[in-house]
Amino acid sequence: MAIRENRTLLIFFYVFIGVFAAICLIPFILAVSGSLSSEAKIAANGYSFLPQGLTLDTYKFMFGSKSDEIIRGYLNSVSITVLGTVSAVLVTSAYAYVITAKGFRFRGAFAFFAYFTMLFSGGTLPWYILTTKYYHLNDTLAGLFLPYLLNVFLMYLQANYFKSIPHEVVESAQIDGAGHYLIFFRIMLPLGRVGLVTIALFYALQFWNDFFLPLMLVTDEKLFTIQYMMYYMMANIQFLASGNASRISGALIAPPLETAKLAMTCLTVLPIAILYPFLQRYFVRGIVVGSVKG
Amino acid sequence: MTEKAYPTPKAQGRSKWLRSLRNDSSLFLLALPGVIALILFAYLPMSGLILVFKNYNFNGGIFGSPWAGFDNFDFFFSSMDSAIRATRNTVMLNVLYMLTGTFFSVALAIALNELRSKGYIKITQSVMFFPYFISWIVIGAILFSLLDFEKGIVNRMLEGIGMQPIDWYAHPWLFVVVLVLANIWKSAGHGAIIYYAVLQGVDTSYYEAARIDGASRWQLITKITLPMLIPSIILLTLLSIGGMLKGDLSMIMGVTFLNPLLLPTTDIIDVFVYRTAIRSGEFGFASAITLYQSVFGLVLVLVANKLAGWYDRDSKLF
Repeated sequence: MAIRENRTLLIFFYVFIGVFAAICLIPFILAVSGSLSSEAKIAANGYSFLPQGLTLDTYKFMFGSKSDEIIRGYLNSVSITVLGTVSAVLVTSAYAYVITAKGFRFRGAFAFFAYFTMLFSGGTLPWYILTTKYYHLNDTLAGLFLPYLLNVFLMYLQANYFKSIPHEVVESAQIDGAGHYLIFFRIMLPLGRVGLVTIALFYALQFWNDFFLPLMLVTDEKLFTIQYMMYYMMANIQFLASGNASRISGALIAPPLETAKLAMTCLTVLPIAILYPFLQRYFVRGIVVGSVKG
Repeated sequence: MTEKAYPTPKAQGRSKWLRSLRNDSSLFLLALPGVIALILFAYLPMSGLILVFKNYNFNGGIFGSPWAGFDNFDFFFSSMDSAIRATRNTVMLNVLYMLTGTFFSVALAIALNELRSKGYIKITQSVMFFPYFISWIVIGAILFSLLDFEKGIVNRMLEGIGMQPIDWYAHPWLFVVVLVLANIWKSAGHGAIIYYAVLQGVDTSYYEAARIDGASRWQLITKITLPMLIPSIILLTLLSIGGMLKGDLSMIMGVTFLNPLLLPTTDIIDVFVYRTAIRSGEFGFASAITLYQSVFGLVLVLVANKLAGWYDRDSKLF
């Protein structure tokens, strides 16, 4: 076989992929080195890719004066992520089990009931009025995860995993007299483990990164999540920086604002960065299943 | 043997029916939490669309506020300019994201598919996928340190090569480029994995046959790899047409911090509803635009579904 190799083309592909991957990584290096720089150097020279005057001052400052807020923000984010993920996975997999239950005459109806919400929605405004005025979920911890308990797309993903479990397993359990609860909790959940991990990760990521719910529902600082603290800080610095006020008071502001933003960025990304190597393959698997199914 | 041991077909049918009803009741209970969540956060908000015909006041709420007839539509049409601007921005940004995002995802997937070194593929793929995991707020903070007028790296580089620094946060049209690039940065790696997964499923005998016929590598890419991806590209594009009127509120909020200078191009429908209704309390107008968004969005979904059906019967969503 005469394979006409094209070396230039191959090198081009290697470089293309390498450059894109580098571009994906560089901004994080910028954030880390900024957070390790001294505020004065940044003020004088601007941001840079390498730390200027390597120092932990910013982190010391943040854990000195802001530690209560940061710890509370972390606790809120972690509790929302844990509570939200656990309950969402239960709600979602139970629903997915129902629409895949063989011989259940209403399974199509339940499937459509979920599917229709992907087609048509009331929009943000009625959602907001109902959630705040009728369900009173504003400024509550529950409000920060209840609205996301059933993601229809992930529900279908989990249903696909359930469908891949051989029906004979369920059938033999049924012959032994097992009801749906027993089958769901003792057979489907353990056997559908890979799917559960996948959707749990998607949910966890969604809850950890969420910013829409605090933006809509939270005014109480006690409920600020780490993401919302970040937004609040950025929006306020932007506000300070945009007016003339900052030009005058800029010299008077003692806290390291610029480096603090980047330190906060690193703190927000850190948990994801630590878990990423372990989680990535599950996400890839989830995507592959999703894309094969279309 | 007695009848007890061998029940008549009729009795057997009935007991089966009873058993299934009893079993089904547990299925209804299993579905219940999901049903409640859907009703509370998806179906009841739909009924909130009657707000369009209401003169909303907070005490009355959705159902107790007085009827306003078509007054809100007058208001809607009288503020047509902002509604058109919001619609234009939403559609414009979505189309740009779709075109550039698809282009880069496909290009990356094809390139990944050509690489030989498994280790290199694994590492670069992991790195490319990482931004997908980062919230827009964090991306907004990092972007700020890149684009800040005085201290941002980009401007300092521009100065380094003797150019004038640019105030990125003051040029709405220039910022569209920033948004598009940010979107590619965040999502192209994720898209590439989808297309790469499709390519992994391609039968290798196509390539072998073409190689025997003396096809060059470039021909393999344009004649086999790309055509293999086209069904997925078309399907994903059709699916995204339905979401044309949906904007990413957290992206705009996280990256622009609602900077008023940028609103001419970043005021998408969701941001607009947030600004007019939730921040300023002008519910009438915002509900008119919400209804318009929902109805038009539904029409788009139906059109996209029809197109998907024409393209490929199995691609239809419903």
